[in-house]
Amino acid sequence: MTATSTALNTRTSTPGALFSTLSVPIAIVALLVVGAIISPSFLTVSNLVNVLNANAAVGLVALGMTFVAVCGGLADLSVPANVAMGALVTLGAQSFAGPFAAAGLGLLVATVGGVVNGLLIGYLRINPIIATLGTGAVLLGLSQQLIGGGIVYGEPSALADFVKGSFLGIPVMVWILAVAALILTPVLSRTAFGRWNLAVGGNYEAAEASAVPVRFTKAGAFVLTGLLAGLCGVLLALSNGQARPIIGTGYEFVAITAVVIGGTSLFGGSGSVLRTVGGVIITALIGNLIILGGLPTQATGLVTGAIVVVAVGIDVYFRRKGGRE
Amino acid sequence: MTEAHHIALRMTHISKSFPGVKALQDVELEVRAGEVHAIVGENGAGKSTLMKILAGFYQPDEGEIEVDGERVGHWTPREAIDRGIGMIYQELNLVPDLTVAENISLGGMPRRGLFVDYAAVTQRAKDVLGELHADIDPATRLGNLSISQQQLVEIAKVMADKPSIVVFDEPTSSLGERETRVLFSVIDRMRRSGIAVIYISHRLQEVMEIGDRVTVLRDGRHIETRDVAGVTPDHMVRLMVGRDLNEMFPKLDLEPGERVLAVRGISREGQFADVTLDVREREIVGLAGLVGSGRTEVARAIFGLDPIDAGEIQLRGEVVSVRNARKGRSAGIALVPEDRKGQGIIPGLSVRENFTLPVIQRIAQGMFIFARRERAVVRSLVDRLKVNPPQIERPLNAFSGGNQQKVVLGKWLLAKPDLLILDEPTRGVDVGAKADIHEIIGEFARDGGGVLMISSELPELLAVCDRIFVLHEGILVDEIARADATEEGVMRSATGQVAA
Amino acid sequence: MRRLDLRATGRTAVRYRLLVLLVIVAIFGSITIVDFFSVDTLQSVLNRATVVGFLALGLTPVLIAGQIDLSIGSILSMAGITTIALQPVIGNVPAALAGLGVGVLIGAVNAAIVVVFKISSLVATLATLLIFASLALLLTDSQPVSSTDPIFGIPLTGDLLAVFTPRSALFVAAAILMFVWLRFTPSGRNLYAVGSNAAAAKSAGIRSNAYIVATFLISGLFAGAAGVLQSLSTATGSPVAGAVMLIPAITAVVIGGTRLEGGRGSSLATLGGVVALGALTMMFEFNGVPAYTQAIYTGVLLIVLITLDRLVSGDGRPTSRTLRRARVESPTPRGIQEEA
Repeated sequence: MTATSTALNTRTSTPGALFSTLSVPIAIVALLVVGAIISPSFLTVSNLVNVLNANAAVGLVALGMTFVAVCGGLADLSVPANVAMGALVTLGAQSFAGPFAAAGLGLLVATVGGVVNGLLIGYLRINPIIATLGTGAVLLGLSQQLIGGGIVYGEPSALADFVKGSFLGIPVMVWILAVAALILTPVLSRTAFGRWNLAVGGNYEAAEASAVPVRFTKAGAFVLTGLLAGLCGVLLALSNGQARPIIGTGYEFVAITAVVIGGTSLFGGSGSVLRTVGGVIITALIGNLIILGGLPTQATGLVTGAIVVVAVGIDVYFRRKGGRE
Repeated sequence: MTEAHHIALRMTHISKSFPGVKALQDVELEVRAGEVHAIVGENGAGKSTLMKILAGFYQPDEGEIEVDGERVGHWTPREAIDRGIGMIYQELNLVPDLTVAENISLGGMPRRGLFVDYAAVTQRAKDVLGELHADIDPATRLGNLSISQQQLVEIAKVMADKPSIVVFDEPTSSLGERETRVLFSVIDRMRRSGIAVIYISHRLQEVMEIGDRVTVLRDGRHIETRDVAGVTPDHMVRLMVGRDLNEMFPKLDLEPGERVLAVRGISREGQFADVTLDVREREIVGLAGLVGSGRTEVARAIFGLDPIDAGEIQLRGEVVSVRNARKGRSAGIALVPEDRKGQGIIPGLSVRENFTLPVIQRIAQGMFIFARRERAVVRSLVDRLKVNPPQIERPLNAFSGGNQQKVVLGKWLLAKPDLLILDEPTRGVDVGAKADIHEIIGEFARDGGGVLMISSELPELLAVCDRIFVLHEGILVDEIARADATEEGVMRSATGQVAA
Repeated sequence: MRRLDLRATGRTAVRYRLLVLLVIVAIFGSITIVDFFSVDTLQSVLNRATVVGFLALGLTPVLIAGQIDLSIGSILSMAGITTIALQPVIGNVPAALAGLGVGVLIGAVNAAIVVVFKISSLVATLATLLIFASLALLLTDSQPVSSTDPIFGIPLTGDLLAVFTPRSALFVAAAILMFVWLRFTPSGRNLYAVGSNAAAAKSAGIRSNAYIVATFLISGLFAGAAGVLQSLSTATGSPVAGAVMLIPAITAVVIGGTRLEGGRGSSLATLGGVVALGALTMMFEFNGVPAYTQAIYTGVLLIVLITLDRLVSGDGRPTSRTLRRARVESPTPRGIQEEA
């Protein structure tokens, strides 16, 4: 029990904490049940695999956003720009660099975006919302200028085939998300860097006075998110074979929603990557249920937003009750 | 002089329970107009609960409250204020971004039609500040004032409502000697104008000085109420705790060893200049001075949290350049900060996580933190420090101030520093934890470490330190050995009257 | 010694950043464009800036109170489509009022989530941003709605006192009224208290919750006004009109100097920021700079301004309120030291 509670970063002693730990799995089960009732084609392997596949790329971003939230960085709103950059460079540079190098270059550019965020927010202590809004606008504008506002096509390549393929019946993209989650979960819960993130988000000044490298930690969270956003863009570009600058639109909200629904507070000090994975699954299932239920796709945002309110509201309620004692 | 005492406040048979704990049981309190009535007691004794009931935040389960002879039923905080109860808390209740005058009239600004009547607001502020002999410009932005000036504004704010009962909760914990004098003269003026003053403090010397009567609470019960004239601090402590005062500060006799810290001529513009001091092994060196004399700044600079403009710092003979806390820690220095809540604890993290924070890289093997190893390290420390209750997974904000301070101290002990700098290590800590903390400090010194201790409580410094350096306005003015140290002597140097 | 001078000049430059920015824009503008300094230009700038201006203006009290409202773009869209869609049903003026009403309604939803459910305004308005953006798309089936009476909105952008148009006059009037409220009325001063030290405000008997509700209603109303004005002027109700306006609105507020931490801010400063941004945009457009390049410049401007601000006002050592929003009241008292 202690291992999971450390990974989930919860105290399993109070009923509120218990709810907090169980709410994510319960929600997933509930959604599966509802889905099975709504549509016969829901609870099939192919549908569920599709759902995971469609959300794997954005799930990567959500993993990074977890660190941002935990260290008290609020949110990284430059994600769409980083995704776009990653995607456009990956395809655009293929002609002169080859697919692998181009993908690497895409990752690099997006990571540089993350580094800029990290410098502004971690070292210059600028408000993350403003900073990432600014860098996002700049980066997105740059990406649009690069390709003159059009669309980039990619060449067929072994790399693209690999990304589009499957392994043991599960799409490669899903594998990548799983591997990333497997690596990042213990990074947050069991490494010094992870502990630093929790400390920085819990009380910045006390962390600093406790010899924690606060600026590096906060910067690191944003660099990580930039990298993951870039990876998301690279994967999307390769699997679609084409990319436009708007490719990443709305991804920051999906990522933040996944983090919040998973139970991590945007104000930092607690949280876990595993929870975010749960949040990604929940968000993905909701989207799928809406489509299968015959509701228009626009309703997705509506339902997701409403669920965020409910989920966070319940969590706040229990936290207040528990904190009273 | 034996006029009938006018009873301003009477609380009788007050009982209050929370789930699982009986905070107050049949407590009596009677405060006369024109007296300073002190309330003392350990943490958990019930002082704050009693005051919360008075202020209207809690309703008592049983008992009655009479203000000026009139029974008071259930009331809200606002009603309490209207009825003449003024509360001055440790955390100042002021708005940094508004002016002094606006703060004083906050919540009830005089109007002219739809608009604020600024003439009246300024006048009101001037009047009440004048009564307090406070030389503060009402148009200043509050955040630009010093802490003690802000506290005066807080008092002015309360006084502007013309209260008949004023409660001070640990008012001197952020004040130095000079500001405390100012505060006491204000309280004295209040007393003479007929206000009933309730004074809650851990500082028994102050209680002796300013109090007329004192009530001792212990474990939610009323123990005794006496005239201050007929009581000694020792007696009070015994009533509060069941232990004698001189047990609190263990007198150590250790042979100092080699020099651990040598600070030569360090300066930082606007904070301190040309400070030279040293600390040896097995030595506890005190750093005394008024608030604002630069003690905390010197401490932070030695640790590396703030930079220095000139001078050098040597650890065990080697010059070190401490540019941040991490460098300070690697150099073998540790700092327990003055502001526990703001800089000491990570409230949401557990005791275990707080303990291991400075040395987490060392505890991790390679990249990973192994839970069992971490827990083992922490458990032994928790036992040694007598953290109560010894639940290492519980979040630190669920513990009392004294226990939190033990964790802050303990986390640095884990780092095995050569030099331990303590900034007000027992501020806001109850008597029992205080003694525990001093014991730990003593052990650390005995094991070969050097201690540099800042404290505004002179008796503490005098009892514990082998030498005391005195700062005055950023300049080191004196170095006093234990044998020659007296309270007056230290105070004289601290106020700048250096002996010829 | 030299360092000190730089700091002092830097500090002055940042404090008067608005002025500095306007001067820079004026210089560049007059170099690159003929007749930049004309009443026409001013009128144009003010007019174009009105919609974003109302958003930024409504945001200001929210920020002062220590909250944030990210949903203003979605409110704009909803108000716009409501107005246009209801024009044939209840008439032009009532439709406009309905648009305003929708703004206030969504503001009320925000207020309820923050005050009743006690969810932080960042999360709450992020959620409502999503919810109402989706709702707008849903109601219009992702298509813009055309007005049945396109002539009605035309006078809004006509001439008024040479330098104004009716809608920009409304905007400036609103900014002035808000300034008077914030600076000279008790409730305005109390608002600063709520954002600066919520606990102190509560102890003084100020009902912070009521104030927070009020700021969200104002933000909703103004965002609604922005939506109504925009849809009437373009004779179109677009479900995505507001989405792109969030960043310019926040940029304008930041240029004006209002902090995101609460306790500080001024509507006149926001007005100045809006005008500066509007002038900048106008100058770009006259020079044929495409929208995405404009975004780059605006983004860089935002970052440079905020960096300068940080560098000049010290190392940005945060106060304990930097990362928290003014807390919604709870019945537990604070102040007397919690003792276990």
